Amino acid sequence: MDALDAQAWLTEHGDYLFRVARRQLRSDEQAEDAVQETLLAALTARDRYAGEASPRTWLTAILKHKIVDAIRRQMREVELPRDADDEEAVDALFRADGHWATPLGAWGNPQTAAELNQLRHALATCADRLKPAMAQVFSLREIAGMETEEICKELDITPTNCWVLLHRARLFMRQCLELNGFSGAGA
Amino acid sequence: MKWQISCKETSALVSRALDSRLPFGDRIAMRLHLAICRNCARFARQVREMRQLFQAGADDIVSPGLPDDARRRIEAALRRGPDI
Repeated sequence: MDALDAQAWLTEHGDYLFRVARRQLRSDEQAEDAVQETLLAALTARDRYAGEASPRTWLTAILKHKIVDAIRRQMREVELPRDADDEEAVDALFRADGHWATPLGAWGNPQTAAELNQLRHALATCADRLKPAMAQVFSLREIAGMETEEICKELDITPTNCWVLLHRARLFMRQCLELNGFSGAGA
Repeated sequence: MKWQISCKETSALVSRALDSRLPFGDRIAMRLHLAICRNCARFARQVREMRQLFQAGADDIVSPGLPDDARRRIEAALRRGPDI
């Protein structure tokens, strides 16, 4: 009976949970582990699930914790990028007087579902190209929707560090999208 | 209080405003700059749009689902149950 519930969750929500995890962890293997840990934790905590939230919402909440655990492990494994490199990359986007080095292109207005999908696809691709520390903070904030205070606490960084990483991530994401063709009026 | 800020500083404030409430002075300086700077106004629009796209996109983004072998592995793990 217990196992049946969890099997049903796997069947119904496995793909969804995997996608969420994969986008944040950027590793198939770690995403699979996170899904497994989530379902096992859900099985253990089944009695505490009172059914106020939909199973998917409940499972996603558990998954978030598992993702944060995995990211914490990643942070330890990954060598933090040298800050000076990123600072230089940001400086390159601006002139010495602080003006934008090049005018920003408009994104146009994706109308059709195909155009929107293309944009989303480009977003995912660009997010994959962010450097690890930046990518982690960015995805916790923008994809998992965590508050910055939570992120700081989880990753043990200061709010200022967090804001700097998010600012850089957004600058690079925007630039990456523009380089991928999402610029020019109506395009 | 510094009212005139650069595009670089403005972009940092625009970003931070998405994550926390800005102090009053920063908020005013940012708004003054955004009112007269097309590029920064565009940056502000685009980062907001980016957030909306990410929030709306979790469900239907085209990416592969859980691989079959992983699914079978997890199924087996669930049958064994949590090892406490």
